[in-house]
Amino acid sequence: MSNAPRHSGKEPVAVVGIGQTKHVAARRDVSIAGLVREAAQRALLDAELTWADIDAVVIGKAPDFFEGVMMPELYLADALGAVGKPMLRVHTAGSVGGSTALVAANLVAGRVHGTVLTLAFEKQSESNAMWGLSLPVPFQQPLLAGAGGFFAPHVRAYMRRTGAPDSVGSLVAYKDRRNALKNPFAHLHEHDITLEKVQAAPMLWDPIRYSETCPSSDGACAMVLTDRAGAARSPRPPAWMHGGAMRSEPTMFAGKDFVSPQAGKDCAADVYRQAGISDPRREIDAVEMYVPFSWYEPMWLENLGFAAEGEGWKLTESGVTELDGDLPVNMSGGVLSTNPIGASGMIRFAEAALQVRGQAGEHQVAGARRALGHAYGGGSQFFSMWLVGAQPPTT
Amino acid sequence: MTEVLSAPLVVEFPFTRSLGPVQSAFLTGLRERTVLGVRTADGKVLVPPVEYDPATAEELRDLVEVAATGTVTTWAWNHEPRRGQPLDTPFAWVLVRLDGADTALLHALDAPGPDAVHTGMRVRVRWAAERTGAITDIACFETYEGEGDVMERQAQSHSGEFAGEAVTGIVAPARLDYTYSPGRTQSQYIHALSGRRSVGERCPSCRKVYVPPRGACPTCGVATSEQVEVGPRGTVTTFCIVNIKAKNLDIEVPYVYAHIALDGADLALHARIAGIPYDQVRMGLRVEPVWSESGRFPDHYRPTGEPDADYDTYKELV
Repeated sequence: MSNAPRHSGKEPVAVVGIGQTKHVAARRDVSIAGLVREAAQRALLDAELTWADIDAVVIGKAPDFFEGVMMPELYLADALGAVGKPMLRVHTAGSVGGSTALVAANLVAGRVHGTVLTLAFEKQSESNAMWGLSLPVPFQQPLLAGAGGFFAPHVRAYMRRTGAPDSVGSLVAYKDRRNALKNPFAHLHEHDITLEKVQAAPMLWDPIRYSETCPSSDGACAMVLTDRAGAARSPRPPAWMHGGAMRSEPTMFAGKDFVSPQAGKDCAADVYRQAGISDPRREIDAVEMYVPFSWYEPMWLENLGFAAEGEGWKLTESGVTELDGDLPVNMSGGVLSTNPIGASGMIRFAEAALQVRGQAGEHQVAGARRALGHAYGGGSQFFSMWLVGAQPPTT
Repeated sequence: MTEVLSAPLVVEFPFTRSLGPVQSAFLTGLRERTVLGVRTADGKVLVPPVEYDPATAEELRDLVEVAATGTVTTWAWNHEPRRGQPLDTPFAWVLVRLDGADTALLHALDAPGPDAVHTGMRVRVRWAAERTGAITDIACFETYEGEGDVMERQAQSHSGEFAGEAVTGIVAPARLDYTYSPGRTQSQYIHALSGRRSVGERCPSCRKVYVPPRGACPTCGVATSEQVEVGPRGTVTTFCIVNIKAKNLDIEVPYVYAHIALDGADLALHARIAGIPYDQVRMGLRVEPVWSESGRFPDHYRPTGEPDADYDTYKELV
């Protein structure tokens, strides 16, 4: 580390603790406080730190209407040991888990705090996201049934634009559900999954099948982020942040490309620039991307620069994104297997970090040195990403 | 000047809450006319109990029983009770430190007027006749004239177990009452729709026509005012077939939810397609509105019978 040149004056950020709950449909045995506590405790245990070692807490969750908790930073301060410390909440719809981690990382990078606990959660069983997304607005015609109805037309637009065969979506779902079998924290463990079963599932929002949608989960994810001094004390290999960025754009505007939003492209380009990545397809070993509906894998492969426009589905179809492929995507099973919405983005970030720490267990990509964590939210309008590496940043 | 529309909007949902071990014991206790607190490592008794020590963050599970009598530590008079509050006549909001507790519980005090309330006054729980395992099992507090004979100063350890089934979850209804106004621009748009015309606004900078108009261009950040009538015909740019029935929607499934670029508009609006079998809807289909008799918007769009639009003519609007 001593020979590492300083990068733009920022403090290098290390992930030294990661904790997740076992994601399930309903955790009726714990309160929300108990749920977040479980993930936070596991992250502290991983880092071999105590509450007293934490300087600040940054928390994220789904939109307030989803589960009716308006001020998590107030309600959860004692469960997260935040008394006497700064605690703040981040809010960027489905991308919030990623944005929350980045806000926490920036507090370390800016040397505001040495060690920060960041956490995101959701108990979907105690809420109703479909209701939260379909509030009746006076003078407007009620038309829409949930997130799937919003995203399905964009999937069709992708299929038309690229000429991708109909089967690509089912390949993604089949892959992610098999990957989930190797992840003890994943919600869905469909031991009898077959491609035929995925393809035989009914269309909910044609062209999106039931089997190609994410589940509703209860879960939380926490990370301990720290500076070089903290990383030096880490009992296990840290993951180092090499780049992180957020971008946003309006939900709808003339010229918006829902298939490949400009904000997503810009966000990825910023992360790659920070990390010194010029060819993401060759230089990145594994990706955890936010794929709530199967077709978003090929769509994001293009948006994130892993494939040329119109070519993303070919990576999926040829097996490149399989766990043993050349560019594994969603080794954990992804959002398609686990979706506590508020936490889903942070799970992507944490799983990317687990890979470069060599601690992903059965879903470990052998020798993963650089991994991308990606989240998006709202009407494809919020993007947050980070690139983590096994070595401290050198550029 | 167009009248700016306004309407009530009620957002209401019964959220459920799993209680976890401490709140479960607390609410089950209330059902059994017992108030439980939790003891911290340094011996403080917190009522209502919490799961984690606010000072040290340590997990708290040492339940104790405190008295149903206590002392008002501060208060505020509520002149005008609102829906859902503990009493429907004017009352005092009070913080009550129950005998045996070190912290105070927020509740209502039934009192004839603010002159009858003072910090330091002695009060006791008035139990609700029907108790379900909720904070409302304490109907309110009332003045207590008795001495210390009925209460134990020292909190007693408690197992947290009671006869009957433990309360493990509650329903917490949330309700927000808004007055919703779509504003000047949307109001004009809606008024025009009732005259069966779609009127958007053109951005003076990028020249894009927004339908519905927003009064400002979201990319240029400038106000828009130039009115442009668009449609009535348009092109289906993309769509999905909805097979899942939403509770709050009175639409038979399957139905087609489509993005429609009205002729002259620079982005698509969202609407339902009918008048054609759902599995025959396609990108590029030319459609026109079918106006509802009473509604403020087209009930749906139907095919015009024109040849489909060429993909290149609308691909930028998908």
